[in-house]
Amino acid sequence: MKLIFVEFFKLKMKLRAWLGPILIFLLIIISFPLTVELSSEALNDVFYSILWIASLLTIMVSVESIFLEDYEDGYLEYFYVANNSLFSLIFTKILIYWILIGIPISCLGTFFSINMSDDISSLNIALPSLLISTYIFINLFALGNSLSLNKGSALGALITIPLLFPILILLGKIVLNANFGFEISNLLLLMLGVLLLIIVFIPFIISFIIKTHLE
Amino acid sequence: MSNSILLKVDNIGFSINQNRLFHNLSFNLKKGKALHIKGNNGSGKSSLIRILLGITPAGKGSILWNKNTDICFLGHKNVLKNYLTLSDNLYIHGIDSNESKTKDILADLGLIKRLDTIVGNLSYGQQKKLALIRIFLNQAKVIILDEPCVGLDDSTRILTTKFLSSELKKNKSIIYTSHIPIDIDSETITLGGNQV
Repeated sequence: MKLIFVEFFKLKMKLRAWLGPILIFLLIIISFPLTVELSSEALNDVFYSILWIASLLTIMVSVESIFLEDYEDGYLEYFYVANNSLFSLIFTKILIYWILIGIPISCLGTFFSINMSDDISSLNIALPSLLISTYIFINLFALGNSLSLNKGSALGALITIPLLFPILILLGKIVLNANFGFEISNLLLLMLGVLLLIIVFIPFIISFIIKTHLE
Repeated sequence: MSNSILLKVDNIGFSINQNRLFHNLSFNLKKGKALHIKGNNGSGKSSLIRILLGITPAGKGSILWNKNTDICFLGHKNVLKNYLTLSDNLYIHGIDSNESKTKDILADLGLIKRLDTIVGNLSYGQQKKLALIRIFLNQAKVIILDEPCVGLDDSTRILTTKFLSSELKKNKSIIYTSHIPIDIDSETITLGGNQV
């Protein structure tokens, strides 16, 4: 529990690391409708795509240096020596990033999607999809960044992008089903299932990769 | 392994890019004893410490720590967050800057008036002092230090020596590397070239 407070405190005190990405997300969502000449109906059709891409880019930017600072100042080594494992630290870090960045952009995205569609039922599509997908995105980008730790974040993003395609396809299917009035709960459950697997395995894989970097 | 022995190192060796730093190195660390690892730059002192800590795997041989041996380690990196204040940095290491013992140490190190200073604005020596507080307040059975006196002024070096002596009296064990002499009773391992 103390680890959660410490990691929360570390990220909270670094405003640019969590507030910056949220502002980028807002900028994309607000500026897109201003830069294209689309009818509100057409805009409505593409808005969810913008939402998914905006959240993807925001997470990519925010997770860019998730482990780098701790690696450079020796915190990862210190934690490993004290606990003989990095799993709890990685798991907590990802959770805190989701709490401070994933949840706010999910709420903001939902707010904008309700405003855009003038339909409160958008809440049922946008909120769960964004909550689950942002957590998955953070995990996957964290994996990419752990692989390219101290080698630049571009490589990490390149490694991660192919892993994100199935999630983006699934998000597209959710919107398609919702537009045709079909059930979306099965797709959301599928995403939740993917998330549950990722929550357990990705921190484990990342801790192994980072241990290799420390060697 | 006998209860008085905390660490048993048997025939370990280590090479970097086919350059053998040390080989067939064996030693024990007993309770209440200090071990000084000496050697020239590049002789493998820091590598040996990282091997003992389990961060870097040894090329061969075995390293056995006694069960439930907790370790407090200070290496070349100070484990400080440059964007946080001094007291915030203590907090992330689980140290309450309002406790009297912490305040005493902060006063001894001349950092008591700097509690609200951003660590990035402190000098290297002051940052090293701050890193040492974590060592001074630890409860671990074994203290491992890699060049702890680099960047420290004379008074802090004396304070560090006094602290380490008092820890030995409490039956704690110390492993350290240092080019700057630290006046504590210790056994010495010298690493150099291919010879141990």
